[in-house]
Amino acid sequence: MDDLTEMLKGTLEGCVLEIIGGEETYGYAITRRLNELGFADVIEGTVYTILLRLERNGLVQVAKRRSEVGPPRKFYALNDAGREELARFWAKWDYVSSRIDKLKEGGR
Amino acid sequence: MNFWDTITGGDLTREWTAFEARAAALPADHRAAWEQVKIHLAAHSDLTGRNLPPVVDGVLGLLEETAAEGQGADEVLGEDVEGFCAAVMGGKGARTYRDRWREQLNRNVARKLGGLGG
Amino acid sequence: MGIRDIVEGKKQWWAHVARVKALPPDYRIVYQEMQRYLFKIGPADTSLLADVVDFFEEGAAAGKGVRQLIGDDVAAFCDDLVKGSPTYAEVRRESAGGEPGPTGK
Repeated sequence: MDDLTEMLKGTLEGCVLEIIGGEETYGYAITRRLNELGFADVIEGTVYTILLRLERNGLVQVAKRRSEVGPPRKFYALNDAGREELARFWAKWDYVSSRIDKLKEGGR
Repeated sequence: MNFWDTITGGDLTREWTAFEARAAALPADHRAAWEQVKIHLAAHSDLTGRNLPPVVDGVLGLLEETAAEGQGADEVLGEDVEGFCAAVMGGKGARTYRDRWREQLNRNVARKLGGLGG
Repeated sequence: MGIRDIVEGKKQWWAHVARVKALPPDYRIVYQEMQRYLFKIGPADTSLLADVVDFFEEGAAAGKGVRQLIGDDVAAFCDDLVKGSPTYAEVRRESAGGEPGPTGK
């Protein structure tokens, strides 16, 4: 689906948290995962800015690991604050999506 | 020098005089809100100030309506007057400095990368 | 700030500039335009610039072009980078003593 950028804006950070929560991973792998999920327009740069923000807000643990090519690669894992933030994201998501579904069904 | 002369040049003064006359008829707290609105809208003005009058007319009308209904100015504009002004100007397709810099950045990148033949 | 801090800061800055110079041409062009834009909108954050160079070095090493990495809308990438840090406009507003606007965490 095209043109999801605006709609995804507030939720992409939560998606990235969820992916990192599954296992320690790095920017390119996260991007690929989102692309395979169906968000084809998500580019590495966008994921990078989210990772940088998560790092600065103290929600992730970062480890630099050697890679086969080029400079060391940054790997990300959730810390306790990150797990709390992820739980908050899903709670908010459940609330918003249930309200919007209700609206669509014509309830009040 | 009058505020509007400064930012618009004299030829728009008559329009602003009419606005100020309408503002003078507002109750005190609406008039205070108007002073705030002017300052923040000016930040979104283009170089000539000509993009402002239609917006100002609209905001002034909104203040007049709420005054007539006995509502407080903060009930319509909210506490964040600056944010409100940015929103109304944005709705009118106003271009701020930041927008100009943004376009300039993307244009420069496109031109210079094009020059690489890549 | 002592002399030593200034010297140390300059050394770091020149080391940073040398890393930028070593990037492939497309990355270098984009980096330089980005830096100009970022300096215009907010207080200089050299650690952010260093992070960008890290990211660009990784992308270049993986054989990707800069546009493949960050897309055509370089300005949007910059805006995402500085989301949450104060711009000059916000710094002015805060120092004017007005209510800070909603920053949206």
